[in-house]
Amino acid sequence: MTTRPVAPCADRGRPTPALSPVPSRRFDQARPFATLAIVVLVWLLLPVAVKSFLRVSFFEFEAPLEVSASYARDLQEYWGLRLHSNTDLIAAGRDMARLHAAYDNNIQQNAELRGQIERLESLLRLPSFPEYRSEPARVVRRDFSAWWQRVVIRKGKNFGIVEGSPVVFTGGVAGRVSEVRSTTAIVELVSSPNVRLAAVVEGDTRPMSYQGGINPSFAPPKGNVEFMPLDIFATRTAPRRLVTSGLGGVFPPGLTIGYVVSADPSTDGLFKTGEVELDSRLSSLTEVTVLVPLEAN
Amino acid sequence: MRRHLAIFLPLLLLWWLVIQLNHYLAPWRMFVSLGGLFIAFVALQLPQRIGLIAALFAGLICDASQPVHFGFHAFLFGLATVIVQRQRPRLDRFEPTTQRTIALLANLVLFIVTALFHLRHVPAEGRLVSRFLWDLLFSELVLWAIAPWFLALQRQALELADPLAASEDRRQVD
Repeated sequence: MTTRPVAPCADRGRPTPALSPVPSRRFDQARPFATLAIVVLVWLLLPVAVKSFLRVSFFEFEAPLEVSASYARDLQEYWGLRLHSNTDLIAAGRDMARLHAAYDNNIQQNAELRGQIERLESLLRLPSFPEYRSEPARVVRRDFSAWWQRVVIRKGKNFGIVEGSPVVFTGGVAGRVSEVRSTTAIVELVSSPNVRLAAVVEGDTRPMSYQGGINPSFAPPKGNVEFMPLDIFATRTAPRRLVTSGLGGVFPPGLTIGYVVSADPSTDGLFKTGEVELDSRLSSLTEVTVLVPLEAN
Repeated sequence: MRRHLAIFLPLLLLWWLVIQLNHYLAPWRMFVSLGGLFIAFVALQLPQRIGLIAALFAGLICDASQPVHFGFHAFLFGLATVIVQRQRPRLDRFEPTTQRTIALLANLVLFIVTALFHLRHVPAEGRLVSRFLWDLLFSELVLWAIAPWFLALQRQALELADPLAASEDRRQVD
């Protein structure tokens, strides 16, 4: 024997099932699903241009909210710094002066090396590496999910940022620009599984393939390297620095990606695969530099 | 107009809070997803049509800021809303405990469905399981902690904007 369920207080007053015709009640029950199905159908039939426009509109609508939070954080930091004593400021100024002197020296060396490279390129008729313009940008938002790792930066089309530009930070490669909007841009981080780039182990010229990996919680970001030559060895105690190869023309050569901490033979035995430990600061970025290719502008 | 703002602005606020939370959790490689909280109130308390529109709107907000097909979250939120709306005559839907439980359950299901969808884009590794479990656990904990405040905020916003319509909604026959 079955008992009819008693309607809760909120639904008292509705017609009892026995009084309403069965097909109508069934339709009433299915109506929300039918409505959703119609919405989905209409959505699927919408032209891609309309959907893209809607996406960009939503993004641009949200952008000021994200950016305002970033400005609020900057202000908070500013007031935090104001609390420091004069002694701290003097010490920081002295450190900055030392750094400045060191960088001045490096700039002179760089100019000298650049001149040498240009002379060699013209002598050997080598294709020159692309030139970049550095564009520092504050990080508005960090997004470190299991499926993607990205940051939103506070510069976009208004500063001539172009899609695909490499992004660096003090620890090396940060990622590359995946989307550019009017005042913001999205950077896909090098730890993201969607990022793949050509790399070499420092001191070696043979290229291999680097790809972002799965990033466990409470552990440094990680990536994977494939097609590593068999004679390259790396362990956690003797890691090898992985740098950009310059192949592909996106990233300049020699930028640090991370450190190869393990190298095991792949299943086919022809190459090795390895684990790359990335800079732990990658997930707490506050400022990055976009290298905008000069040809793009 | 005021009523629509009272429905949509709290959803926008929740999206903004989730974004900020994820920003500060990034150094620990954590990610919070509160899909269930977006739909709990709109599915349980609002009239069906408005509830569905609000859920779709919330989904589109999430879609615009994430690298997924535009409409992915909108569809998931819409479907979850419709399912909850179908079940709500059997629930004591104005009870905060019920709303919180529905939010937790919906979040769990949405999290798993989203994870299954994204799984095909990343290499399946053992590390993924631990990461998935941490994110899920933390998302549920955060939702459990903020659900009473957020659901009350939505209810109060609606009552402030249009007290008559809010009481009508309570009496509405599904």
